[in-house]
Amino acid sequence: MSLHAGQHPSTTAAPDATTGTRDWLIASAAAIVALIALYAVFFDNGSLIAATGSYLHEFAHDGRHLFGAPCH
Amino acid sequence: MSIPVLPLLGRGLTAGGAAGLTAGLFSLLLAEPLMDRAIRLEEARSHEHADSGAAAVQHHEELFSRSTQHFGLVVTSLVFGLALGVLFAIGYALVHRRDPEAAPWPRALLFSGAAFLAVSLLPALRYPANPPGVGDGATVAERQGLWLAAVVIGVLGMVLVWQVYVRLAGRSAPVRQLAAAGTAVAVLAVLFALPGNPDEVPVAATLLWDFRVLSIASHALLWAVFGVVFGALGLRALGRTAAPAPSGAVPAG
Repeated sequence: MSLHAGQHPSTTAAPDATTGTRDWLIASAAAIVALIALYAVFFDNGSLIAATGSYLHEFAHDGRHLFGAPCH
Repeated sequence: MSIPVLPLLGRGLTAGGAAGLTAGLFSLLLAEPLMDRAIRLEEARSHEHADSGAAAVQHHEELFSRSTQHFGLVVTSLVFGLALGVLFAIGYALVHRRDPEAAPWPRALLFSGAAFLAVSLLPALRYPANPPGVGDGATVAERQGLWLAAVVIGVLGMVLVWQVYVRLAGRSAPVRQLAAAGTAVAVLAVLFALPGNPDEVPVAATLLWDFRVLSIASHALLWAVFGVVFGALGLRALGRTAAPAPSGAVPAG
């Protein structure tokens, strides 16, 4: 718990409210992208992007079976 | 509150990429031969149907060759790892918001173990993986709803057990542990109260068992690699900021 001279306890993020908010906005955006990616590989049955048809589903077919996601 | 979430996010993506790739290559080597066999058997079954006069149900549109689907398995596993890495990092940052950089190694292993139970093992116990050839296109929406419910119950149940354990911190060890165990049993009961998988499983028992073991092994390998890389990166970051860190940090709590 000793604080050496010239060494901040936490140097990774500025103790600044706006930096914290910005970081959490980035994290939230990343979470949304992650959820969309999970939906795309494990849940899509050809409706995510109409043009892709069931290509996405068929490409992820083996991964869906392996990880236990419901498949046709 | 300003939790440094971005470094954790970076570690989550790195660990998730490594874990997804490892699990993908592992299953490419060990599970693909089984899946190929299951598909050949399925084709043989549908030919028998055709011979006996019934309409051949050829529900596999051959959009991709098997080798493209093999490659798709590795890509899917990589995407799975990366996405889990993001969600893991955010959950880790929230749970350890008081001192997110402390005790990175034991925490990473513990958190990965908990995530394996919640996200992988519990849903797999209720709705075990099935090889290709099992799965009725007409019930897929229903099964997706059930599977999603199982994952949500797994994650919420894990949070609930942890909260019960944390909130009873003032009580004796037997009270705390029995209460947490009782909560875990209640979560299992809820999980098994979900309706069963409606599909028939017309696959030989040995093939089915081997496939399910490999499925759970892939999940376990993914989380093991994830925990190790995430923890190692945390240790490295800790070593950088404060060279000889006094590691008297407390575990999750």
